[in-house]
Amino acid sequence: METKVLTKGFELDHLFRIGVYLDQGGYRAVKKALTEWKPEQVLDEVKKANLRGRGGAGFPAGLKWSFVPQKTDKAKYLCVNADEGEPGTFKDRYIMAHDPHLLIEGIILAAYAVGIHTAYIYIRGEYELIARRLEGAIGDACAKGYLGKNILGVGFDLDLYVHRGAGAYICGEETGLLESLEGKRGNPRLKPPFPASVGLFQSPTVINNVETLANVPFIVLNGAAWFLERGSPKDGGTRIFGVSGAVNKPGIYELPVGTSLREIIFDHAGGLKPGRALKAVIPGGMSSPVFKADEVDVKMDCDCVAAAGSMLGSGAIIVIDDRTPILDVLSKVAKFYSHESCGQCTPCRLGTSWIHKIVKRMAAGKGRADDVDALIRLSANIKGRTLCPMGDAAALPVLAIAKKFKAELQTALKGSA
Amino acid sequence: MNREFTAELKKRIEEITARYPSRQAALLPVLHLVQSETGFLSAEEERAVASILGLPPIKVREVVTFYTMFTRKPLGRFHLQVCSNLSCSLADGERILRHLQAKLGIGAGETTPDGKYTLTEVECLGACEQAPCMMVNFDYHGNLDPEKVDRILEELK
Amino acid sequence: MVKIFLDGGPVEVIEGTTVFKAAQQAGIAIPHFCYHPAFVPEGSCRLCLVEIEGSPKLELSCSMVVREGMKVSIQSPAVREARRAVLEFILAEHPLDCPICDKAGECKLQDYYQDYGLTESVFRESKEKREKKVRIGDKLILDRERCVLCTRCVRFLAGITKTRELGLFERGIHSEIGGYENEPVRNGYSGNLVDLCPVGAITDTEFRFKTRPWFLTKGESICPLCSRGCNIFIDYHPGFPRVPGSAKVYRIRPRTNEAVNGPWICDHGRYGYVDLQQKNRCEKLIWNKGPRTTTELSWDKALIVIGEKIKALRENGKTGRISLILTTWLTNEELFLIKKIFKDGLGVRNVSFADPAPGTEDGFLLRADRTPNRRGAREMGFEVKPADLDVLARDSDILFIFGSSFAGGSNDGAWKAALEKVSVKILVTAHLNELASAADFVLPAATVAEKSGTLTNADGRIQRIAAIARACGDIRPEVQILLDLAREIHLDDAYFGALTGPEEVHRELAKDIPFFGARP
Repeated sequence: METKVLTKGFELDHLFRIGVYLDQGGYRAVKKALTEWKPEQVLDEVKKANLRGRGGAGFPAGLKWSFVPQKTDKAKYLCVNADEGEPGTFKDRYIMAHDPHLLIEGIILAAYAVGIHTAYIYIRGEYELIARRLEGAIGDACAKGYLGKNILGVGFDLDLYVHRGAGAYICGEETGLLESLEGKRGNPRLKPPFPASVGLFQSPTVINNVETLANVPFIVLNGAAWFLERGSPKDGGTRIFGVSGAVNKPGIYELPVGTSLREIIFDHAGGLKPGRALKAVIPGGMSSPVFKADEVDVKMDCDCVAAAGSMLGSGAIIVIDDRTPILDVLSKVAKFYSHESCGQCTPCRLGTSWIHKIVKRMAAGKGRADDVDALIRLSANIKGRTLCPMGDAAALPVLAIAKKFKAELQTALKGSA
Repeated sequence: MNREFTAELKKRIEEITARYPSRQAALLPVLHLVQSETGFLSAEEERAVASILGLPPIKVREVVTFYTMFTRKPLGRFHLQVCSNLSCSLADGERILRHLQAKLGIGAGETTPDGKYTLTEVECLGACEQAPCMMVNFDYHGNLDPEKVDRILEELK
Repeated sequence: MVKIFLDGGPVEVIEGTTVFKAAQQAGIAIPHFCYHPAFVPEGSCRLCLVEIEGSPKLELSCSMVVREGMKVSIQSPAVREARRAVLEFILAEHPLDCPICDKAGECKLQDYYQDYGLTESVFRESKEKREKKVRIGDKLILDRERCVLCTRCVRFLAGITKTRELGLFERGIHSEIGGYENEPVRNGYSGNLVDLCPVGAITDTEFRFKTRPWFLTKGESICPLCSRGCNIFIDYHPGFPRVPGSAKVYRIRPRTNEAVNGPWICDHGRYGYVDLQQKNRCEKLIWNKGPRTTTELSWDKALIVIGEKIKALRENGKTGRISLILTTWLTNEELFLIKKIFKDGLGVRNVSFADPAPGTEDGFLLRADRTPNRRGAREMGFEVKPADLDVLARDSDILFIFGSSFAGGSNDGAWKAALEKVSVKILVTAHLNELASAADFVLPAATVAEKSGTLTNADGRIQRIAAIARACGDIRPEVQILLDLAREIHLDDAYFGALTGPEEVHRELAKDIPFFGARP
């Protein structure tokens, strides 16, 4: 049994049309917040709701908003991270395709809470058709007075634009996104300073994931307590888990934060194909360390998954069964990070390439006895030493596979020269 | 030789630049726009975009070569981008690539002699629930098998 | 002031200092590639990682600002291991070029890998193949296999010269530095890229394959090619005994002086200096007696002959018929001796200057005045004006010319006609040109690299040059020539006898003229 809050509307046709959206009670949250609440109240409610970021890092959204200075003579910006590049992730695509106005509402509320008047949706270039739908929805929202100048007559202005990326996973990292939005190579920036003080165009900036913002209207309408009830005390609400891989029913499943991973795979996503056994599960997108088959009794909330040695990340669950050699999985992982490394810092640029070369050699049957140990050592040398979190994203999955499946990898090596 | 943009294109470029406090920020959207008109971004297009946005041409090339969706060479009319990442691979996505290679007689990264198809391997397209999938220009096609791929190609005019 | 602890030792630094700079202050060197004092911290090489108590991850010392009481470990095992790992990554893809790479001996990668014991490679894959001889500038070659992508070159061209000839293309392991189409790096400061590059990725065609840094002696000096007075290092090869012509200045490099040139020098100076040292050198004493030139002249003989001529004029009270054409290439000490000997001692009035024509200033380091000591000459009371050729021809029996610029510039052919009217012409120069055949005596003088003394830059800064290169043949520094001449004519034996070299001359100069009392 699912708890459909965010995805409830997906069943409707044409919810992306503002007329249909309004008929369904859309933009009530915006009306409520802008006419009845002060900006600080919106921020406080979201803080109390323990809304954690749903892009990957799981950082509390309300806390992030509070880092932006209230008083500043610089323009403030909101960037919506719609880059959705984490392999296995496709939930934001659903939100933007089926319910773009929900996202727009969330954007308006976030901007109102922090005092922001210009927002950009940074959407991956491959989602061109979705970008056009968003632009249409934005146009409609403007026409109806929900965007632009003096929204609902309360004196709040907000301009919202769609900005397309062009095929770079690293632009999903918040400072890589900022660089890309400024028209440069997507090389992440040194932190500190953090985007809340020095962000887009050197100004205070909030960056939030699509799904994170899509939750805000519900928090405003129903309150923080309601939101917390639906999830875990420190991690409120529902999440749209995306399940793919060796399951019978790949797709999106909106479930309470804290639902067991086993339940998601077997009760909702239809379990495995006949005759197959579970081998491994990636719980939160490729950057999250893999779980073995006996590790899937974990609650899917940020803190529990972290305590179990992985991360909830983007909630993208990739299921691997016993028909897939783990070396194949490792090959995909190694290739991806080597391909997506921006190249700026030494350990990631050279480390991901070295790891990829070793794994390619192993996959070609020319592995050596000490290759798996080499992978472990090199991953450990990347971890914690890079300019941005992508270093860990590249290193931890390799480390987990190499350690947890060492036996299988070593056995495969025995068959080679 | 410098490429001159049409008045219409220049107008659309100005509309884009108006969204940002800095003209450089318009670079990615403008490159998408120009590439959709010209098919690819040669040095001519780079210089023209650089000139319009007030950037040194080298900064434009730095961006063009960083992002995989920008191409410096012409592509076929239909760009078949097959996902080679994990979830598609778990659904035997390699079979789709092999099928296309055999059918079209080209390898990944190549264009058919008649200029109709370019075949590339790409990373995760964000449609993993429909694995295996590919993107033809901007259209997503999922739950592929060789027969479905053939039908899709048939309909590409 | 903030107090921090570096490897246990307390250090006090001003607020806002980075851990890296604090360590520098305390004399602790932290390995780095991408950091450079002239640029904002980049943070990409990851070599400068240090351990900070209370921080779960290693932190970058180049960008981390100190906090009161901060405890930093720079040489702890964890930090050394991290550095070793970063170096290992770089070395994995680095070509084993040391035997053919110009940077060997002054290469940071070499220095570091030795420190961190990375002598055995465990990389068994194929290294990336890249272009190794990309001509990116008139005198610059880029080797992309050696490049460690520190991006110093790109940042220099973006931030200092603002000409942006180089950029960073592609992504990830395929990232590479390059120019736009075939446009070269050409901005008057291109040579600095060679110094900036921490490895041998960017090399100088003037230096490529010529020698090894460990054969070179390094000396501190000042570039004389304009009035900025950029501080330099001269790299000089003392030569091999049995190899003629093997002693030479191979190159100059910037010596950081925040008040004068920062860490840079211009190409005009960098490449001009070596030409100055090597091209058209006057090495032999020449006595042009009539149609057949005689070179059989020794210094003793030359001084006697010239001394006689001066004595002759002295006896007749006609030392006013000695004229001088000087140059603002002369050092303060040389100019002072000329003043004491000729102006004060012999009462010479007819003093003018011949200098290289001014160039255009480039808005950064290169000044329009292409001589190093015009300010010094002025402070010493000389009026720096060109010769009046008619006066010269009419009123000179003996003419001393210092430097060879008199034969150039706006003088054209008129100088030849004027010189023909002068009975005795004595040329004191380091370089040969047509002036040498027009003079009666040619006395070979030292270049800046071969003498000691001081020069005054346009801002009035008195800076020291020290002889680093050995003068060969008959070449002598002008200070010595002038002192010998003074003794030869017994001008004031007590005074000049006590002056044995430039140091003593400078002391007298400082006593006489307070401006030169400032410590150089």
